[in-house]
Amino acid sequence: MARSVWKGPFVDGYLLKKAEKSRASGRNEIIKIWSRRSTILPQFVGLTFGVYNGQKFVPVNVSEDMIGHKFGEFSPTRTFHSHSGDKRAVRAKPAAA
Amino acid sequence: MARIAGVNIPTQKRVVIALQYIHGIGPKFAQDICTKVGIPDKRRVHELTDAEVLQIREAIDRDFVVEGDLRREVAMNIKRLMDLGCYRGLRHRRSLPVRGQRTHTNARTRKGKAKPIAGKKKTS
Repeated sequence: MARSVWKGPFVDGYLLKKAEKSRASGRNEIIKIWSRRSTILPQFVGLTFGVYNGQKFVPVNVSEDMIGHKFGEFSPTRTFHSHSGDKRAVRAKPAAA
Repeated sequence: MARIAGVNIPTQKRVVIALQYIHGIGPKFAQDICTKVGIPDKRRVHELTDAEVLQIREAIDRDFVVEGDLRREVAMNIKRLMDLGCYRGLRHRRSLPVRGQRTHTNARTRKGKAKPIAGKKKTS
């Protein structure tokens, strides 16, 4: 279920402070955060965050389109495995059988 | 023959039903249009006067996004997610279920027909 509008977007408070500080310092360095649950706010646009995915900090360059999404959406926690040789395997099978 | 919103030519049927042949108009919107234009439930498409057809056409043009425009809008929304690099976008790119369904089994609508695994023996 979607979050009630009257509550406003959820953000961990310390992110605002962190973002402000990095804005003030002017250097464009990665802000490491663990708060994957926080909504991306308009004041984060242009900053680069390192969003923790349980193993490392995935750099996320926040653009205007990302507003309203959560940080966690941009830092996948699972590695995707696929069968890369699927097509070859399918072709090889009749020959082997 | 009634042409409403592009290529749709449903005839012989009741107006409420026929309007649903348009992509983007379902039971609810069809009913809405009919009440707005003032067409009784039982009226069939071929019994409509030209003026009524025109009114329906106007009502759809004014209030609804249908057919090509709607498809384009949906495709644009999906493209936005994919370009953004967010989780939902990644799922769309891999054509896997987007809303957290299981993929161990099922999910055949998104994944397509099951592919055979190489080297797996059939149990007889």
